[in-house]
Amino acid sequence: MQTRLASEFRDRPEGRTADEILRACVHCGFCLATCPTYQLLGDELDSPRGRIYQIKQVLEGAPPSRAIQVHLDRCLTCRACETACPSGVEYGHLVDIGRAEVDARTKRPLAERLYRWALREGVSRPRLFGFALRTGRAVSGLLPKRLRSKLGHRRPTGSWPTQIHARKVLLPTACTQPSLSPPIDFATARVLDAVGLQSIVVQGAGCCGAIRQHLSDQEGALAQCRANIDAWWPYVESEQVEAIVVNASGCAAMIKEYGHLLRNDPQYSSKAAHIVQRLRDPVQVLAPELERLRKRLSPQGSRRIAFHPPCTLQHALQIRGKVEGLLRALGAELVPVADAHLCCGSAGTYSLLQSDLAEELRTRKLETLLREQPDLVLSANIGCIAHLQGACAVPVRHWLEWVDAALTAGRTPPMSQTGKKEVR
Amino acid sequence: MVNLDEPAQSNPAQAPAPQRQEAAAAALRSVLPEDCVLWREAERRPYECDGLTAFRQIPMLVALPRTEEQVHQVLRLCNRLDLPVVARGAGTGLSGGAMPHASGVLLSLARLNRILEINPLARQARVQPGVRNLQVSEAAASYGLYYAPDPSSQIACSIGGNVAENSGGVHCLKYGLTIHNVLRLRGFTMEGELLELGSSALDGPGLDLLATVIGSEGLLMIVTEVTLKLIPRPQLAQLVMASFDDVGKAGDAVAAIISAGIIPAGLEMMDRKATQAVEPFVRAGYDLSAEAILLAEADGSPEEVLEQIAEIERVLRAAGATALTVSHSEAERLRFWSGRKNAFPAAGRVSPDYYCMDGTIPRKNLGHMLKAIEQMEAEHGLRCMNVFHAGDGNLHPLILFDANQPGEWERADRFGAQILELCVQLGGTITGEHGVGVEKINSMCVQFSPRERAAFFGIKRAFDPSGLLNPGKAIPTLARCAEYGKMHVHAGALPHADLPRF
Amino acid sequence: MPAPSPTPTCRDSEPMEAELLRLREQVLIARRDRTPLRLRGAGTKDFYSASNSQSTPCTTVDLRPFSGILDYEPSELVITARCGTPLSQIEAALAERGQFLGFEPPGFGADPTLGGIVAAGLSGPRRLSAGAVRDFVLGAALLAGDGELLQFGGRVMKNVAGFDVARLLCGSLGIFGIITQVCIKVLPRPRAEATVQLEMKAGEAIEAFNRWGSRPLPVSGAAWYDGGARIRFSGAVPAVEKACTQIGGKRLDAAAAQRWWDSLRHYTHPLFSSDSLWRLSLPQTAAPLDLSGDPLIDWGGALRWYAGDQGERDVRELAQRAAGTAMRWRGPAATGRFHPLSPAVAEIHRRLKRAFDPEGIFNPGRLLADL
Repeated sequence: MQTRLASEFRDRPEGRTADEILRACVHCGFCLATCPTYQLLGDELDSPRGRIYQIKQVLEGAPPSRAIQVHLDRCLTCRACETACPSGVEYGHLVDIGRAEVDARTKRPLAERLYRWALREGVSRPRLFGFALRTGRAVSGLLPKRLRSKLGHRRPTGSWPTQIHARKVLLPTACTQPSLSPPIDFATARVLDAVGLQSIVVQGAGCCGAIRQHLSDQEGALAQCRANIDAWWPYVESEQVEAIVVNASGCAAMIKEYGHLLRNDPQYSSKAAHIVQRLRDPVQVLAPELERLRKRLSPQGSRRIAFHPPCTLQHALQIRGKVEGLLRALGAELVPVADAHLCCGSAGTYSLLQSDLAEELRTRKLETLLREQPDLVLSANIGCIAHLQGACAVPVRHWLEWVDAALTAGRTPPMSQTGKKEVR
Repeated sequence: MVNLDEPAQSNPAQAPAPQRQEAAAAALRSVLPEDCVLWREAERRPYECDGLTAFRQIPMLVALPRTEEQVHQVLRLCNRLDLPVVARGAGTGLSGGAMPHASGVLLSLARLNRILEINPLARQARVQPGVRNLQVSEAAASYGLYYAPDPSSQIACSIGGNVAENSGGVHCLKYGLTIHNVLRLRGFTMEGELLELGSSALDGPGLDLLATVIGSEGLLMIVTEVTLKLIPRPQLAQLVMASFDDVGKAGDAVAAIISAGIIPAGLEMMDRKATQAVEPFVRAGYDLSAEAILLAEADGSPEEVLEQIAEIERVLRAAGATALTVSHSEAERLRFWSGRKNAFPAAGRVSPDYYCMDGTIPRKNLGHMLKAIEQMEAEHGLRCMNVFHAGDGNLHPLILFDANQPGEWERADRFGAQILELCVQLGGTITGEHGVGVEKINSMCVQFSPRERAAFFGIKRAFDPSGLLNPGKAIPTLARCAEYGKMHVHAGALPHADLPRF
Repeated sequence: MPAPSPTPTCRDSEPMEAELLRLREQVLIARRDRTPLRLRGAGTKDFYSASNSQSTPCTTVDLRPFSGILDYEPSELVITARCGTPLSQIEAALAERGQFLGFEPPGFGADPTLGGIVAAGLSGPRRLSAGAVRDFVLGAALLAGDGELLQFGGRVMKNVAGFDVARLLCGSLGIFGIITQVCIKVLPRPRAEATVQLEMKAGEAIEAFNRWGSRPLPVSGAAWYDGGARIRFSGAVPAVEKACTQIGGKRLDAAAAQRWWDSLRHYTHPLFSSDSLWRLSLPQTAAPLDLSGDPLIDWGGALRWYAGDQGERDVRELAQRAAGTAMRWRGPAATGRFHPLSPAVAEIHRRLKRAFDPEGIFNPGRLLADL
């Protein structure tokens, strides 16, 4: 499209980035077809094309307004539009810039500001979040149904593998994952162990920064990115680890952006680029080890499984069909799921900030997931798992938990204990 | 000379007085919920254009009804208040047909997005206008049926928009345009009269008003329900991709296929500039050294396909194809097509902006047209890549330019108009499937005489006497044609060349 | 690269200029004197009119002299001819190049003109798969009441410039003016064709036709009469053979098949000579109606002919309840031959007539009794 950026943006690096992205957009509208909020709301303003246009108006000098803020807030940042776009528009990058600009100049209602502050500060701190969650579970009967459905239940984790391997990987963990679903990390470590990879968890690494980034605290997010890089860098630089394996696709999607986010930081840009190069989704390290895994699997009774690929896996990480392929190769019976490209509504803190839309999306997603009556729903991101389980009659697990169960089936002792991770 | 028969509301750019906007907004809110009326400027602005961003006009108000009855009430109200109404589907149109009127209501049908009924035995689907084209085929897939017209924007474009433009697509050579695949329309006139045109039966009494409304670009009525024809999915479809070292040869090859009595399911052509632009994105395996590639598809039973592919290959070889590839799987076939279907927006990767033309000429003149376009490239100093529904002679030259460079859009516009005039001279038409909209309205002065345009206004008046539906689109007034300065040109000769011009 | 061949559009060549001027003359005189014109080709469809009697005296305009094929491009699948050109001439020219008219226009045992074919808008059994007249009309020229010659559409199928007047003229029964010439899309003749016959009841036939319609079978005709269903397959040789095997039944020899389909197409079947005949246009899936006797079914169930005494109101009501319409093909009709239009649609008819023929000189009473 033709652009005429206002002078205040033309010379800023964000302005130049935004201009490039805006010029790539030809306003064709293909993105409307895959945008979940457009499907629900049917309003151009709640479509990627419409959001791009609104951001363009602001960057061309139109005053940002509460109305625009609301439409940008409603964006899931699922980036399904990027997958559909034939012109290569980097919508994810643009909406970050747009949101930052609009949020800096538009005042939110007080209640909303407080809520967002609480989420920013509370969710991304694992200990604080864990405390809040345990308290919540203790008094769950007193909580409103919406909140109660998000709490989940404690399940045994089994033990952390103790074998030393020559091949090692870093296993960062999502800030909410150890509290919401501790078994996931343990299962991950065990599966990696089964193919000869030792998982290392490091001190000093914390939230990937996604929550702050998406709640318009860019500076706070960058601080978290730098902290993580500082914690991981010694292992990456010395090549002690061969990969950084992230088992929550939402976090992986954020880490993948470290290079872009820190591109103008002379101290961190190169390290960030290296870190991104070492980033791996579990399926990427396990697929080459397929035969080894298969040998160690105990035959499982046929279980009908519905796989939900998170938006971050499909669109941000552009990993499509790989997990499904691996699961099938390991003997899972995957049922067909319609509209698999659509978001479940979790989208980080979205399910808390836009609960009406998030619930409508969840209802639609569960309808398609459960249509063929699976026994189990598997996914690849803690956010999706927790969100879906809140209204799903069937268990929702991380796919690595299924692989882990298949590996340990028949092995004694059963997974009734709760172990502790080794942290360096 | 003022023609009293022409509508008075022609100019879309007359801005309204604020009191008028407030009164109209209040009136709309009496028939629509709060969240279905947009009045803030920031919220109206993203509706100022469709897929053709060069033509923009912010509407006075935007209405987003959810039900047929709400549409009805909006029309009655606008009729009473004398407000122009411009309808919009998915806003993917390429001729500015959904560009709003400054003192009117932009009526979005996007929220009427339900598939009401699929009847697999009768092979019909009854849908609301906001349903996406591909959505229909996806819903019919489990019955082994699909909806054949497949414009390249089918992932996103709406059925209502398809009806307004009589959309075609890659497979319309064999399966027809929208008009051949719609059985019935239901909707309202501007006066608020309910109209049901066509039916589930194959014909009916009286005039074929269904055929008149399809392709009428939102000028005659607002459609709230469409009954579509579904056809069985062919058992197999296979694609032949052929390379040619000369565009003229490729054009002749197209004519040779039709002459041989073959009607392929699809017959498309892309020139070298086009394949080079899309290949990095789709990775379809296009032959980047060929001056032109042809994509010819055969569908049907495995035996039929085998036979037809063999015939097509024979004809193409005889026509001088330098390479031939046949798709070996459904995935491969879709990949070969993806470049063609994504050609327009993929042009956005090699140029900041593009202007997509849409004209039709007799197939045999394809080679000549392409050579002429090459000359025009030099004349206007702009690149042009070419993608065609070769089987129909329907061209889509994509003129590449940079809107941020002063004067380039104007040059692109002139380049485009020149192409369209050549189409008319070669015995074709200025628009094969994208519609006239606002974009080609001046070129209508070249394709039709004043008397013919008066006949169009007669039809317009029959449906919409007040002229409130989509004013200023599709049919130019005498005044506009006089302004544009072009006379009706037919087969290269001006009529009555000796008469003085006013 | 040779220059493009000069493309004759729907404009006249010189020899017929005189004939066209003569027609124009007649039109202008009719307008001046307010004497309506009755447009007539070969007169094969004289009966196909809203009203039988003519209250106003009309001058008959014989359009047969305005005849001739102007242009035929087999590689473009387009033929352009003047309105008076007989069907036999057109079909002969097409047959020479292995092409034909997909919509199978009726001949009524005579030789209709192209103008009449388009103005009446009737199509034969192949309409089921190939489409109707209006699906094949690409362009037409109209001599209007003020003597002006208007060109609509063109020689190409993909054409959405302006309103689709050429298609509006199909079935307009000459009420807008004289259609002086038409550009028609043609099709290559199918490589193979075969008809099979199966014994079954009417209801079973309707069901079967619809079931087969959902399968990728190359059906080009599906009719039933007197206990026998006849299905025609057209297309590639292997496809036709496979279909015959799959559906079974008795395969008719080529001559018998031709006779059968011609009797339907040209209305030479004995049923069409009944004193009383109703033409019902229904959804293909409509169940058999509660009328006396079994119909002749065509278009896979979408066209049903009922002979014998049926109550006029009953027929129209039953047809309407089945989401269709009924036309009184032969026999007296108190409420008019054609099925009545809804008030809103009728109003648009009146306005269109006023727009094109304000003086009302062309074929009054032909399409609607009061138009």
